[in-house]
Amino acid sequence: MRHSSLIPVVPLLLLLATGEASAHAFLDHAEPRVGNKVASPPREVTLWFTQKLEPAFSGVTVTNPAGERIDGGKARVSGNQMSISLRPGGTGTYHVNWHVLSVDTHTTDGNFTFQVGQ
Amino acid sequence: MIWFGAEIDGPMIVTRTVHFAASAITAGALVFRGFVAEPALRAAPAATAPIDKQLRATTWIALAVAVVSGLALVLLLTMSLSDEGPGEAVMSGALRDVLNLTQFGWVSQLRLAIAIVVAICLAFERSALWRWLALAAAVSLAASIAWTGHAASTPFTLGYLHLASDALHLTAASAWIGGLVPLALLLGMARRHKGWTALEFDAVGRFSMLGIVSVATLILSGIVNSWILVGSFRGLLETGYGQLLMLKLAAFAVMLAFAAVNRFALTPQLALLSDDTRQDTLRALSRNTLIEIALGLSIFAMVGVLGTLHPAAHLVK
Repeated sequence: MRHSSLIPVVPLLLLLATGEASAHAFLDHAEPRVGNKVASPPREVTLWFTQKLEPAFSGVTVTNPAGERIDGGKARVSGNQMSISLRPGGTGTYHVNWHVLSVDTHTTDGNFTFQVGQ
Repeated sequence: MIWFGAEIDGPMIVTRTVHFAASAITAGALVFRGFVAEPALRAAPAATAPIDKQLRATTWIALAVAVVSGLALVLLLTMSLSDEGPGEAVMSGALRDVLNLTQFGWVSQLRLAIAIVVAICLAFERSALWRWLALAAAVSLAASIAWTGHAASTPFTLGYLHLASDALHLTAASAWIGGLVPLALLLGMARRHKGWTALEFDAVGRFSMLGIVSVATLILSGIVNSWILVGSFRGLLETGYGQLLMLKLAAFAVMLAFAAVNRFALTPQLALLSDDTRQDTLRALSRNTLIEIALGLSIFAMVGVLGTLHPAAHLVK
């Protein structure tokens, strides 16, 4: 253990700093997989997280290679899984942007891409 | 502010620390009354009224702080999620959404109802049934914190094990650390009453037994929680979460050392020695108990920070 990293903990009770709450729910994996290429446009994108999510405060948007939103708007959230249906969007690079609130009340967000085409 | 590799929210952590400590003292004071003070007071009826008065005052104060800090936690979370000030967060409907649409909101409402049950039991207690109902409600108030933290977020069947383990951990921590506050108050009163020797000896002995059961529960449930949230020695050594957990364990070990001195070196002296030496022993017991309370509060503060950090198991694969 690096002792220097423990020194700031001593005055914990006096801590009055401000800042954003830390994030907790990490993206574990997704389908289509992060950065991968699929042959045809998927009908939906599903994301799995490391923690359970709050449906009312979690969402995802997907844009096609032309930059148009092709998601159905309302994500379906169950446990640590979030899915969203897609309209056909052609070939190229799709962008997925997500934001979630884990049940232990921490927010996090992120994005990834996947490719569609031969 | 960056600590242990993550940005942390100072007001939220301070409020969480106060809330954990107040909830634990509410439960700990009533556990102390049910399992330590009441049995010990059967042999010292003259001491019943002043000690019961002090225990009730401790519980009322801790309960009030737990309710106010619990409401503050809901407001702070709403402000954080909506990016609004306190007034705006209430008026815009964000507070209503947090209360009605998140598990944290539902559990917070349930815990407020439990706190009201504790208050009603304290206000109207006329029999042992009311006192035991107050104890059960106060323990539920502390244990239900598990449903607002990391344990509530663990997915799949493992989540049920994590919740059960965390609820037990919170209950045991409340019984021991929360119970230290009424113990310190009782020792303080005992120093002013020469005729309370048998009561002191009995109460300290009973609290030691309660402490042993609590420590055993804390260790077992702590192992389960650490296995789920840390998962490996690498996670313990290389992540901020693991390093802070080790610091928490170190504070716990020092508390145990003080408890062992109280149990095996000081308690036997209460029954044997002259009045002067008994006063010295009581003073040493009081001092050690206050040090244990300070260490316990530092543990609550560390738990307040740990709850905002990424669990090590998510960082180390």
